[in-house]
Amino acid sequence: MASLHFLLRPSSNPNPLALPSRSRPVRCANERQALFSRIAPVYDNLNDFLSLGQHRIWKRMAVSWSRAKRGDDVLDLCCGSGDLAFLLSERVGSDGKVIGFDFSREQLLVASSRQHLLLKACYKNIEWIEGDATKLPFSDCSFDAITMGYGLRNVLDRCKAMQEMFRVLKPGSRVSILDFNKSSKPFITSIQGWMIDNVVVPVATGYGLADEYAYLKSSVQEFLTGKELEKLALETGFSDAKHYEIGGGIMGNLVAKR
Amino acid sequence: MVRVSRVLLRDARVGINKTLSEILVCPLSKQPLRVCEESGSLISDAIGVSYPVVDGIPSLVPKDGKILATDDIEKPDSDVALDSANKEYPSGTL
Repeated sequence: MASLHFLLRPSSNPNPLALPSRSRPVRCANERQALFSRIAPVYDNLNDFLSLGQHRIWKRMAVSWSRAKRGDDVLDLCCGSGDLAFLLSERVGSDGKVIGFDFSREQLLVASSRQHLLLKACYKNIEWIEGDATKLPFSDCSFDAITMGYGLRNVLDRCKAMQEMFRVLKPGSRVSILDFNKSSKPFITSIQGWMIDNVVVPVATGYGLADEYAYLKSSVQEFLTGKELEKLALETGFSDAKHYEIGGGIMGNLVAKR
Repeated sequence: MVRVSRVLLRDARVGINKTLSEILVCPLSKQPLRVCEESGSLISDAIGVSYPVVDGIPSLVPKDGKILATDDIEKPDSDVALDSANKEYPSGTL
């Protein structure tokens, strides 16, 4: 069920390339970046396998909620290997523009390779940028829509990231943020925990990435609930915020309008 | 209004297209960036920092920015550069 979008790294490991210990929380942004870079080669395949392809549906829903349309300028934050960016590219067409933005160069290189392999003419409207989601290199009111798939949970300063999204959005435009749902229902939390322990981690172990995914459960536990995400968006200044539970409640999508 | 398809001109030496270089700003100062063909980078004259472009992908990560020597900076407004620099990194480092 779970897609492998969530990875945390230990805080005190002096060697950013070493595997994190399960006993140490992953706190440092550099470590998170290194972790995502380590999994870049297997990211797409494992996402498909572990979610049984469902992540594709959730991502289409996220793009639909963003209200991106032909000719728009749109931003996909924490784009990873580019799934959402490619969907946005099809939606905005050759008159539009897509920026795929991530802090992992390795993930961006995978995205760029996919762009060149896929050969669709509209994908030429995508540009990849390496950067920090809390310090966006765009002017105010630049974008008609923003998407963020399985990224907000991995950003250390979520308030700052929301503020930056608000700043670069055009008034009246929306941000669509897809991620795991931190549910208040014990049944959902149990299902998520069981899947992580008994499916995600064993599969990841086969790729030598067991420790990277062992933090998934705590990552979701440390995330915000749907109500808390709505509150964060409203406090940031968005005029409207609504969190939708999808995938049977294990996933959630926040839609906020500037 | 008729929408005109955008023609993206790629600067082969820097590897960044013209439209992209026009929409990007410095992540710290939020001021415009200048393409430097000689170094293959994007320059923030406001704070005297250079960001690399590698394999056509701009790296606008603040901690990877390189502080430039004074001679390499074009100065449109020295007060803005000082204010921005002092606010973001008073010690002179990124």
